[in-house]
Amino acid sequence: MAKEMIAMLLAGGQGSRLYALTEKLAKPAVPFGGKYRIIDFPLSNCVNSGIDTVGILTQYQPLVLNEYIGNGQPWDLDRLYGGVHVLPPYQKASGSDWYKGTANAIYQNISFIERYDPQYVIILSGDQICKQDYSDFLKFHKEKNAEFSVAVMEVPWEEASRFGLMVAGEDDRITEFQEKPKDPKSNLASMGIYIFNWDILRKYLEEDEADPNSENDFGNNIIPNLLRDNRRMYAYHFDGYWKDVGTISSLWEANMEVLDPEHSGINLFDDDWKIYSRNSGMTGHKICTGAVVENSMLTDGCRIKGTVKHSILFAGVHIEKGAVVEDAVIMGNTVVKAGAVVKHCIIAENVTIGENAVVGAMPSGDENGVATVGDGVTIGDGAKVGPSAMVRNNIEGGEEQW
Amino acid sequence: MVKSNRSALGIIFPNSYDPLVPELVNVRMMASIPFASRYRLIDFILSSMTQSNIDNISVMVNNNYHSLMDHLDSGREWDLVRKNGGLHIFPPFAEKESKPYVGRVGAIAGILDFLRDQKEEYVVLADTNVVVNFDFNALIKAHIERGADVTIAYNEQEFPESLMKSQSNDKGFYYTFNIDEGRVTRIFVNSREEGVQNFSMNISILRRELLIDLINTAFVHGHEYFERDVLIPNLNKLNVQAYKYEGYVARISGIKSYFDENMKLLDDYNLDALFSGHTVYTKIRDDNPTRYVAGAKVQNVMAADGCVIEGEVENSVLFRGVKVAKGAKVKNSILMQGTVIEAGASVEYLVADKNVTIRAGKEMKGTDTFPVYIAKFRTV
Repeated sequence: MAKEMIAMLLAGGQGSRLYALTEKLAKPAVPFGGKYRIIDFPLSNCVNSGIDTVGILTQYQPLVLNEYIGNGQPWDLDRLYGGVHVLPPYQKASGSDWYKGTANAIYQNISFIERYDPQYVIILSGDQICKQDYSDFLKFHKEKNAEFSVAVMEVPWEEASRFGLMVAGEDDRITEFQEKPKDPKSNLASMGIYIFNWDILRKYLEEDEADPNSENDFGNNIIPNLLRDNRRMYAYHFDGYWKDVGTISSLWEANMEVLDPEHSGINLFDDDWKIYSRNSGMTGHKICTGAVVENSMLTDGCRIKGTVKHSILFAGVHIEKGAVVEDAVIMGNTVVKAGAVVKHCIIAENVTIGENAVVGAMPSGDENGVATVGDGVTIGDGAKVGPSAMVRNNIEGGEEQW
Repeated sequence: MVKSNRSALGIIFPNSYDPLVPELVNVRMMASIPFASRYRLIDFILSSMTQSNIDNISVMVNNNYHSLMDHLDSGREWDLVRKNGGLHIFPPFAEKESKPYVGRVGAIAGILDFLRDQKEEYVVLADTNVVVNFDFNALIKAHIERGADVTIAYNEQEFPESLMKSQSNDKGFYYTFNIDEGRVTRIFVNSREEGVQNFSMNISILRRELLIDLINTAFVHGHEYFERDVLIPNLNKLNVQAYKYEGYVARISGIKSYFDENMKLLDDYNLDALFSGHTVYTKIRDDNPTRYVAGAKVQNVMAADGCVIEGEVENSVLFRGVKVAKGAKVKNSILMQGTVIEAGASVEYLVADKNVTIRAGKEMKGTDTFPVYIAKFRTV
C-alpha cells in the first residue's frame, strides 16, 4: 500500500548556538512555549495535515528526544502502517557512517522511504516554530506539476542577505538560489521545508552520494544540482508565523511572542490546529495568596507564591515567596527560591535558583543579553548571574558569573 | 515493591452514590464528575489501582455512562491497554433476568462468568465518590497478614452534614464500624451518630473465589447490597477486618461537600497530601498553557491549562479552557471546563458546570453554605 506523501524530519542538529540548552539534548527537544518541545510543531503540523508517516533523523544527543517521541501516541502517530519512526544512523553490511549532511541523512534512509512507496516526500526541519498546513503546500506542488517545491517567506530586503534566497519568476518558478548573498536578488527566504517527487529526490540523492566533493547538503548541493538540470522547481509562499529558534535570543523572543498572540501571529489557542505534546501528568497550577501574576503563561504543576511578570513557566516550576520573575522563560521543574530575582533570561529544566540570587537583568543601554542557565544547574543563595552569562555549571552561594 | 501484581483484580462501581449529587449527575455519573481542576473522580481510584500494579480493572457502569466512556476511552492514559487484563467496561447486560442493578451484588452477579475465568487470587472493590491516593499493595499485604476473609478500608471522620440531615435512606447506604482489635464486630447502616466515626471507604478486598460464592448465594436470594445484605448477616462467620487509612480523604456527599472538597485543595497542605503519592492520570486534552493577560488579578487560585484570564479571580478552582473576560470578577467559585465569564460579569459562590456562559454584566451570587449551581451548557 503506497502512501501519497511521507515526512522526513531533520532532527540531528546539535544546535550549538543554543549552548548550555543543548548540552544534553538535541535542538528539536528543547522546550518551548510552556508545555511543548520544538519538535511538537512539525509533528503536530504533519498530523493536522494528514501525514501519518514521519521519519525523524537523529544523531546528536538523542536520548531525551527518543524517550519523548516514544511510540508517537501523543501526536496520534502510533499507527499500524506508518506512524513515527526515529532513525539514527545504523550499521550496514557495507559499513557504517554518521549522517554527513542533511542530504546524506535522507540518503542513508532510502530503504525506509521505499517501504512506503510514496509519491512525494516532504523534508522538514526540527528547529523551527511554525504552524503550517503541509497539505496546502502539497496542493501547490501538484498544481504546478513541480518536481521540487520549497516553502519561502518574504523577509525584509535589508535582512535578506542572512538567508538562503530563492529567485523566482512571476509564475513562482525558481530560476536561481543564493545562499546568504551580499547582493540579494530576491527577498524570498527558504524555510528549509521541501517537497520532492520521490523519484527525483532519490535520483539526486544517489548522484550526490557518488560525488566525493559534495557536502551532502540540501542547500549547498541538491538544490544547485536541480537548478543545473533545469528541473521544475517552484517557490511556495508562506505568510504565517515562522521562526528559526536556533539562537538564545531568537528562542527567548519566540517564547515572548507566545505571550502576545494578537500581534505576533503565533496563536497556540487554536482548536483547529492544536499543537500536541507529551503531558506532564501534574495537577493544575496554583497561584497562592499574595502572589502576583501578570501577562504570563502557566501550566500544570506550577506553584506561584512570588511575582511573575511577562514570563513563560513550564510544568512544575515553583516560584517562592518574594521571588521576582520578569521577561523570563523558565523550563520544567525549576525552583526559584525566596527573594531571588530572575529577569530577561532562559532557565533550563531542573534548575534551582537559591534564595536572594540574581539571574539576568532587564536590558539597559547596549546591554540586552539573555542570561542562560543550563539543565540541572544549582545557583547558590545570593549568587549573581550577569545579563549575558551562559551558566553550565553550579555557582556557589555568594559567587558571581558574568 | 512487587514488580507485577497478578494477585488482585479491581472492580469499580462508578454509579454508586449518584443520588447524593443529583445536580452533578444529571448528564453524567459520580465517576465522571470533574474534580480538582483537571480530573474526574474516577481518576483517583483508577490511578491508585494501576500504580499499585493492579492492571485488570472492570468498571461496572450502570446508567448515564456516555461521559465516562468518553473519558476512559481505551484506558490508555492509565496504562490500561493490555493484552492480559487492562480495562473492561461492563454495562448492564440486556438479557432476560438482567436489569440495571441497585447494588454491588447485582453488578457483580452479571460478571460472575468473567470473574471465574480470571487468574488473580484477590479482588478489590471500590466506589468513586471517595477521592484518595490509595496504596492497594498495603491493603493487600494487611489483608494477607491478618488472615482476613474480607478487609475494608475506613477512615476516622465525622459524617458530612448532608448525610446527617438526610431524612430517608433513598440516597444510598453508608457504613460505619465497631472494631475490636482490627476485626469489624458491627456494621451500622446510615447511622446519624455525632462525632468522629469509623467511616467505611467501601474499598474492600477478598479472595476472588469467596466473592463468587458470596455473590452467587446473595443474588439467588434477591439481595442487592454487598455490605448490608452479605457482610452484616455474616459478621460472625466471616473474619471481616478493618483497615485504617490515614491518608488524605475527600468524600463527595453532596453539592456542598463537592464545593468544599474542591476548595480545600487551595490549601497547599491538602493539595500535597492528596497528590504526593501516586501520579494521578487523566484524559489528555492537549490544551495550551493558561494565559494571564496583562491586567488580570489572581489570588489563591488553582487552574488547569487552556484558560484565558483577563479579569479578577480569587479563591477559585478553574477547570480546563475557562475564560474570564476583562472586568469580570470570580470569587469563591468552581468553574468547570469551558465556562465563560463575560466582561464585567461577577460571580461568587458559584459552581458552574461545563460550558456555562455568564453574559456580560450579569451577577450570580450564592453563599458559603449554599453555593449556586448552574447546569451544563446554560447561559445566564
